[in-house]
Amino acid sequence: MNKVYLVSKDGKQITYDQLLYDLNQCEFVSQVCYQKDTYSIFLEIIASALHGITLTILDADFSSAEIEALEISEDTKSRKVKVQKLLLACIDDLIAKILSNQDWELELFTSGTTGVPKKAKHKLATFTRYLRKSAKHSSDVWGFAYNPTHIAGIQVFFQAFLNANTIVDIFGMNRETILSRINEHGITNLSATPTYYRMLFPTNNVFLSIRRITSGGERFDPKLTASLLRVFPNAKISNVYASTEAGTILESRGEYFSISDASYCKIENNRLYIRAELLGMEIGQIDWYDTGDLVEFVDNDQEEFRFVGRDNEMINVGGYKANPSEIEHALCDHPDVLQAKVWGKTNPVTGTILMAEVICSNQLTERQLRDHLKGLLQDFKIPRVIYITNEISTTRSGKIKRT
Amino acid sequence: MLDTLKKIVNTVRENKGIDPLDAITPENDLRTDLGFDSLDLAELTVRIEKETGVDVFADSFVITIGEILAKISK
Repeated sequence: MNKVYLVSKDGKQITYDQLLYDLNQCEFVSQVCYQKDTYSIFLEIIASALHGITLTILDADFSSAEIEALEISEDTKSRKVKVQKLLLACIDDLIAKILSNQDWELELFTSGTTGVPKKAKHKLATFTRYLRKSAKHSSDVWGFAYNPTHIAGIQVFFQAFLNANTIVDIFGMNRETILSRINEHGITNLSATPTYYRMLFPTNNVFLSIRRITSGGERFDPKLTASLLRVFPNAKISNVYASTEAGTILESRGEYFSISDASYCKIENNRLYIRAELLGMEIGQIDWYDTGDLVEFVDNDQEEFRFVGRDNEMINVGGYKANPSEIEHALCDHPDVLQAKVWGKTNPVTGTILMAEVICSNQLTERQLRDHLKGLLQDFKIPRVIYITNEISTTRSGKIKRT
Repeated sequence: MLDTLKKIVNTVRENKGIDPLDAITPENDLRTDLGFDSLDLAELTVRIEKETGVDVFADSFVITIGEILAKISK
C-alpha cells in the first residue's frame, strides 16, 4: 500500500509499505523508548505492541539525571528483546495483530510539572477506549499536534494508525508551517490543547479540509470555539476530558459534560472521581481516585457540569484561594485578548501576589485590562501586575506553563 | 531615580483608584503618606524589581521612599 503513513517534521513522507518493511525486518524490540524523532517513537510503539512486549516511554528531553531519578539505568535504557521476524503481508494484517494483543502494556510518565514524574501503566484498551474505526474514517488525515511520548499523543496516534490514516507531524511547529501543512496535505482531523489552537490565530485564511477538531487538556473556551469555526467552517468540534492516569474519560460537544456511565465516574463535593480500575497505576486499596479536578454543576438536576480548575493550582492570596484558570478565562473574555497566563509570584510582603501575562491582538494597556477584570472578578482575584507580551511559554504537553 | 520611582508609585496608586501624586519625597512613608496597604507594597516591589532588578523587600522591611532609593542606588 503506497499510502502515506507519516509526514515527518522535515517534510519526508514515509509510506505504509515502508513501515511494513521496517516492521518485517525487525529482530530486536526495545523495552525502553528514548527517541527524538516521531517516526522512531511510533515504530518502537508499534513493534512492541505487535510482539506483545511491554514498552516504557521516556520524553526525548528527559536529562540523564531525570532518567536516573525514575530508576531506569543506562543498561535498561538500551535493553532489547530478540524476536522472530514477522511476515506481515499487508497493513490490515498488522492492525489485526495489534488489536489481538489486548494485554500489551505501555508505561509512561506524567508531564512532571510538580516534583518527580509519576509512572502510569496502560493496556491497549486505554488507548482504544474511544477508538472510532470504520470505513468512514479510512480517508482521515491527522494533524499530529501532541507530544508523541505523552498519553494524548499516543491516543491520537492509535486513532489514526488503526484506521491506516496519514499522520502529518505538526507538533512544536510555528503557526505558518502548521497552517501551510493543513492545506498542503488536506488535513481533516486535529486534536490539540486550547493553547495550541490559540497559537493559530489571528489568521484571515479559511481551511475547508478540516472536518473534526478535538480540544482537551485544558479548560474549554467558548470564545475559542467561535474563532475555530470561523477558520475551520466545516469542522465539528468536541471537547474531551482526559488524564495521564486514565486516558480519555469524558467527551462532549461543548463546555458542559455529563456522566454517561456512573460506574466509572462520579462527582462529590464538586470534585471529579474516577473508578480505580481505570487507572494505570497502583494507588492502594481505594475504589475511587480523586482527580483533583474541580467542577461546577450548571443545571438544577445536577447532571451537567463544567470544569473550573484544579485544586493544586489554586493560588493562596492573603488567605483567599484564587483559581488561575478562572482569571485567565476572564482575561480572555476581552475581545482583544488572544491568550492569558496567570500565576502566583512569591513575595516577602504578602506571601504571594497574582501576576498575569497577556497576548493581545490590538494594543491594550494594563489599565484597560484591569478595568475589564473589575467587572468580572472579586478584587483579590485581579492580578496586581499584568504584562503585555508576544509569547507565552507552554509545557511539553502543550499547556500553559504557570511559573 | 526619584522620577522613575514616582512613576511606579503612581501606577500602583492609579491601579487602586486613587489620584496620582505630583511629587514624592524621600521622607514619604509608604503606608501613611502614599496610602499603600500590604498588597500595594507587594505590587510596588514587583514593579521596582522589573525596572531596577532590585527586590527592595528582600532582606528587610522598608518604610519610606528614601529607604527604597538607598536600596536601588546601591
